[in-house]
Amino acid sequence: MSYLRQIYAIVWKDLLLELRTRERIVAMLAFAVLAGVLFNYSLDRTIVRPQDVAAGLVWMTIVFGGLLGIGRTFQLEAQDGAFQGVLTSPAPKDAVFLGKTLANFVLLYFVALLVVAVFMLFFSLELGGSPGVLALTLALGALGFVALGTLFSAVSSGTHMGETLLPILIFPLLVPMIIYGVSATSRLLAGRPVSEIAGNLRMLGAFATLGVGAGAFLFRYVVED
Amino acid sequence: MSISKLRRWGLILASLGILGILVLQALVFFWVPTEATQGIIQMIFYVHVPAAIVGLYVAFGILALTSVLYLWLGDDKLDQAGVAAAEGGMVFTTVVLLTGPLWGKIAWGTYWTWDPRLTLTLLLWFIYLGYFLVRASTQNPERGKRFAAVVGIVGALDIPLIHMSVLWFRSLHPGPVVMKPGSPTLAPQMLTTFMVGMFSFILLFLGLFALRFALEIASRTAATRARAAQT
Repeated sequence: MSYLRQIYAIVWKDLLLELRTRERIVAMLAFAVLAGVLFNYSLDRTIVRPQDVAAGLVWMTIVFGGLLGIGRTFQLEAQDGAFQGVLTSPAPKDAVFLGKTLANFVLLYFVALLVVAVFMLFFSLELGGSPGVLALTLALGALGFVALGTLFSAVSSGTHMGETLLPILIFPLLVPMIIYGVSATSRLLAGRPVSEIAGNLRMLGAFATLGVGAGAFLFRYVVED
Repeated sequence: MSISKLRRWGLILASLGILGILVLQALVFFWVPTEATQGIIQMIFYVHVPAAIVGLYVAFGILALTSVLYLWLGDDKLDQAGVAAAEGGMVFTTVVLLTGPLWGKIAWGTYWTWDPRLTLTLLLWFIYLGYFLVRASTQNPERGKRFAAVVGIVGALDIPLIHMSVLWFRSLHPGPVVMKPGSPTLAPQMLTTFMVGMFSFILLFLGLFALRFALEIASRTAATRARAAQT
């Protein structure tokens, strides 16, 4: 089986599993909408305009909601030693990692787009002039996030602290994503020209490359036993 | 190197470091001129900057290097050296995080600001914390060592990006005065005092590193023996 087909098999398996159980996606989506509701009441509209802080809220919701789902990447397969089966398959470890990351990316990107849609509705946001670039910004940030998230989810589910360890490991590493992602998003939402955020997109791309590359290379050391 | 040799070198280097720090205190209190604009609070620079260079560069450099080599070669010694470096690094980074705000309160009027160097130091402290947490929370020690090495490597890879991003966010921190193009803009007496501080802190770190390394080797040997005796 070629490398791409092996990745595809993992992605398909994970997405099918998610379609059948709907555990993680429901948790993430419900979290996103409910976080929006709480944010609404945590802002005093006579002091802060929600539009001014919307980009930050969007990204923090994606991070916290995403952790809920990504932290459980290996949960289901930990039962009955199913993940051992995946590991003993002929697929190399980096293909397993890339497959898992891509499947997580599909889930998280779906959540991210929904977060933007819900927040538009709740806080009467305007999308700005370039929704395509906004979608790209979210995609690059989400890709770096799920790559690091998948790698460290494998780490934390191998410890007895479990998911509680994940934020401690991953939040310090997410600072570049938050800084470049939030500033790009808030500028796009404010209708600024795309040329202003070209640098942000490049740095988000670098962050995603680093996450995917480091994860693909290091994953084998996390799961070998 | 044997444990006793490591321990001897550790004691020698750490003693020299402590002696150097006593000399540094004498220089700071009785010899070096007071800086013109900042006054007396600038003196914290002689402790703060050497601790930062040791905690952020020397210790983390060793940690990153030993993490990569450990995953590659699988030699237990490399992991033990990594633990020793990370513990020393965390102590020195804590010194940086404690002395910085004391200076900042007077110089900037605030204990904390989101300056790049402050942010990076704080995040690095948490990366050290993660390094110890994954180790402490795994039943299988071999697995804990690999996890910790992964945390060290990803941290080291991400630090340049974190640095660029927080720099891009904004900068308030005083720029470099010693290591910069051209000659240092420090009065000669200040430079001497700083260099004394720098060497003392490096010696102290290397001494503590060797002692901790020896302790780690000894405690693991003891644990292996205890397990062998049980079975």
